[in-house]
Amino acid sequence: MSRLVTMVLLAAGLAAAPAEAGAAWTGSPRVTVELVSESDAVAPGKTFWIGLRQTIAPGWHTYWINPGDSGEPPQIEWALPAGFSAGDIAWPHPERIRVGPAMSYGYSNEVVLPIPVMAPADLVPGARVTLSGRASWLVCEKECIPEEAPVSLTLAVAAGEPGPHPTGAPLIARARQALPSPSPWPASFTATPEAVTFTVAARGLAPGRIAEVWFYPARWGAIDHAAPQPARIDARGITIEVARGQLPGATSAPIDGVIVITERLDGGAARQAFTVRATPGATAASSAALLQAVVLALAGGLLLNLMPCVLPVLSVKALGLVQHAAGSAAAMRRHGLAYTAGVLLSFAAVAGTLLALRAGGEQIGWGFQLQSPLVVTLLAYLFFAMALALSGVFVIGGRLAGAGQALAARPGYGGSFFTGALAAVAATPCTAPFMGAAVGFAVTQPWATGLLVFEALGLGLALPYLLLTLIPAWRRFLPRPGAWMKRLEELLAFPLYASVAWLVWVLSQQAGPTGVAVALGGLVLIGLAAWLFQASRDASVTWRRAGLIAVAALVVGAVALGPLAGTAPAPAPAQAAGGRDEAFSPRRLAELRAQGRPVFVNVTAAWCITCLVNERVALRSAAVAEAFARKGVVVLKADWTNRDAGITEMLGSFGRSGVPLYLLYPRAVPGRAAGSSPAVLPQILSEGAVIDAVNKI
Amino acid sequence: MSEPSLSRRAFLAATGLAAFAGPSLARSGVAWAAAAAKVGAAAPAFSSVATTGKTVSLADYAGKVVVLEWTNHECPYVKKHYETSNMQAIQKEATGQGVIWLTIISSAPNEQGYVSAGQADELTKTRGAVPTAVLFDPTGVVGKMYGATNTPHMYVIDKAGVLQYAGAIDDKPNTRKSDVPGAQNYVRAALASVAAGQPVKTPVTRAYGCTVKYA
Repeated sequence: MSRLVTMVLLAAGLAAAPAEAGAAWTGSPRVTVELVSESDAVAPGKTFWIGLRQTIAPGWHTYWINPGDSGEPPQIEWALPAGFSAGDIAWPHPERIRVGPAMSYGYSNEVVLPIPVMAPADLVPGARVTLSGRASWLVCEKECIPEEAPVSLTLAVAAGEPGPHPTGAPLIARARQALPSPSPWPASFTATPEAVTFTVAARGLAPGRIAEVWFYPARWGAIDHAAPQPARIDARGITIEVARGQLPGATSAPIDGVIVITERLDGGAARQAFTVRATPGATAASSAALLQAVVLALAGGLLLNLMPCVLPVLSVKALGLVQHAAGSAAAMRRHGLAYTAGVLLSFAAVAGTLLALRAGGEQIGWGFQLQSPLVVTLLAYLFFAMALALSGVFVIGGRLAGAGQALAARPGYGGSFFTGALAAVAATPCTAPFMGAAVGFAVTQPWATGLLVFEALGLGLALPYLLLTLIPAWRRFLPRPGAWMKRLEELLAFPLYASVAWLVWVLSQQAGPTGVAVALGGLVLIGLAAWLFQASRDASVTWRRAGLIAVAALVVGAVALGPLAGTAPAPAPAQAAGGRDEAFSPRRLAELRAQGRPVFVNVTAAWCITCLVNERVALRSAAVAEAFARKGVVVLKADWTNRDAGITEMLGSFGRSGVPLYLLYPRAVPGRAAGSSPAVLPQILSEGAVIDAVNKI
Repeated sequence: MSEPSLSRRAFLAATGLAAFAGPSLARSGVAWAAAAAKVGAAAPAFSSVATTGKTVSLADYAGKVVVLEWTNHECPYVKKHYETSNMQAIQKEATGQGVIWLTIISSAPNEQGYVSAGQADELTKTRGAVPTAVLFDPTGVVGKMYGATNTPHMYVIDKAGVLQYAGAIDDKPNTRKSDVPGAQNYVRAALASVAAGQPVKTPVTRAYGCTVKYA
């Protein structure tokens, strides 16, 4: 009633009369304020939400927490009953108000500012409590007027669970829709003296759906409030470039703010607000930082030589060197350089792939190749074969000195190059846990810088061997060749076996028992091939040929098994997905309807921001889950990310050309055709709206 | 395999890189404020007509410390500092030490705060203000050059003509007069640093007040 009076007065352009006794609203002809409550009573010991409602005359506006270039946000000085305490205002996202060359961030017409209030536990049910305080605010049209008024709200103390307040609850529910929710996407920024460029990693958005994007900084200083914010939406997400603000140093810390995305929906648009903390991204690194990263990478590369997957490869290579210590210095040098080239080129290949994939928007890190069960399986085979060679199960090329000599003494420098490549490949699984910092830096850098860091890592790996070959004097420190070399080789097989065991464990996480079984079967084939290879060497020519063919067949067989490991379903995620959101199909819907089950159909797409927000604020809430469970509602998820034709048709049948679409099919009534039509829920959901709809079925 | 926090950081940074390395957007969006006077750089030269009818130039005061004060006598934030005599007190202190104090009115004709020369002088007299001169900027050229968005909006220029401070008068961005005594006055602090030949500790702050009533 009182609000009605306010509105009538405002509509008539009359000055508001002084507050009558008992009227809840106070204020001025420009702004009237009142406190509203979400619940109709206070529950002892609980937090409840109230709201400061400002009704603002046309043309005037009040301010957001960051008022922009001028202005001041509203405040309340509370005088609360003993034991009560009020939290900070939860600020609904503002709108832009341009005033000449300046920009204000604020509210017009009406805004409800939600405030949490904590009630003490020792309240007596039936008593009445009055929350009062003094609200102050600045209201501007062209001129600005600071105003203040007493506000108060009286509520009864509830014995049980309080219900929603008939007028307050819908007002606060509406305010909540304008409250920013935590951003589902990480954000970063880069800064130059002229501009700040924000990147919100919202990948896979549909540019055509985004009508507008605006970043409201939480504080003055980092960006120019009034500057245009041209936004680009592509595979990487949303990029906004805006003129830099005046505060020096504002871009050396994270920039907080709210990003408001206006998404085009069927027959309208939805504004979605997210709180964002943009972290300073690496701009072109300073030369000092680059030098530091290169030195760290070099040291890390050296350390890699000691990793269990690399040490055997390297040791064997070094053993070859011991064997040939007396050889020509020039040939030695060339071997060293060939080995280094093998390492560096392999690192460049892996790093180049990584950087290219990242530039294309893939969310991958170093060690990404180990996310493929196929690669893991093949690496396990490789390590196993190397270990078998070290154990002496088979010998490549050489006669007595073992595989090490074979690799090192292979005619030409191809063998050395190959060893370098092998060391690099073997090193990659070990780099991930140890090289995180340097690699983390490298992937954030421009191409050339990133590659430089990776190559420093590779050079570190190659360095011990390279130096031994380049500086003949150092070779004096090598022990004399002897029988110990064979024992060492045999011993070095075990770190490789351990690496195989680790890779199989990794595979068990990725591909489940089937994947492990396939990989172990492949390992058996590799073992058989190794034995056969060695056994047939000493046989007649015919047998040796037959043996080699069999070995080749076994290896091909093992490799062919690899993809099988990859296709075995990973058990855990499949289980989780099946739990709640069953995939939609018209048949499944008809089936469930025939069984008499109520069904909720969620037509959504990965690139639909409103869908995402609805799922977060409403569909995945505990209260909604409880309501669904209580009524036995089955949720079917129709994923339109790839524009499935069947779903397009269904959208069309509801007069829609896009998502989101939410349908709630009631329990089919026996006797009536299962064609009873579903309730179509609004495109912007709230928890309450979903629960209300569910309660009606 | 790698620490989640680490890969997350790398990821965040990488998205920043993507933005940096990607084709840059048109830089047409640089607003006037960014092109305005910059703290640490030479204060832009200007000339304006004073209430005396004479044209006053910043160059006239070469070798002296200059304070610029944007004002609008009807703005509640300006009133806060004049009705508590806070503004007059700093003016007295400053001009007493040979500082040039230029009060600038950028309100356009028919906008709030626009006054005639006579009215302006009357305001100075009745309020007990002691600026060196009160200047008119009805076209807003000077105000926009300095990026003045608020009244009051304060600037301090050192003897070498370098802008050393831009922003609020103090750290209490409200209209409560009771906050004046406890406030940290940025202008007073900047003047002290400039006089001592030291760098200003807080050289840029968010100005608070009413918007400047530009045309």
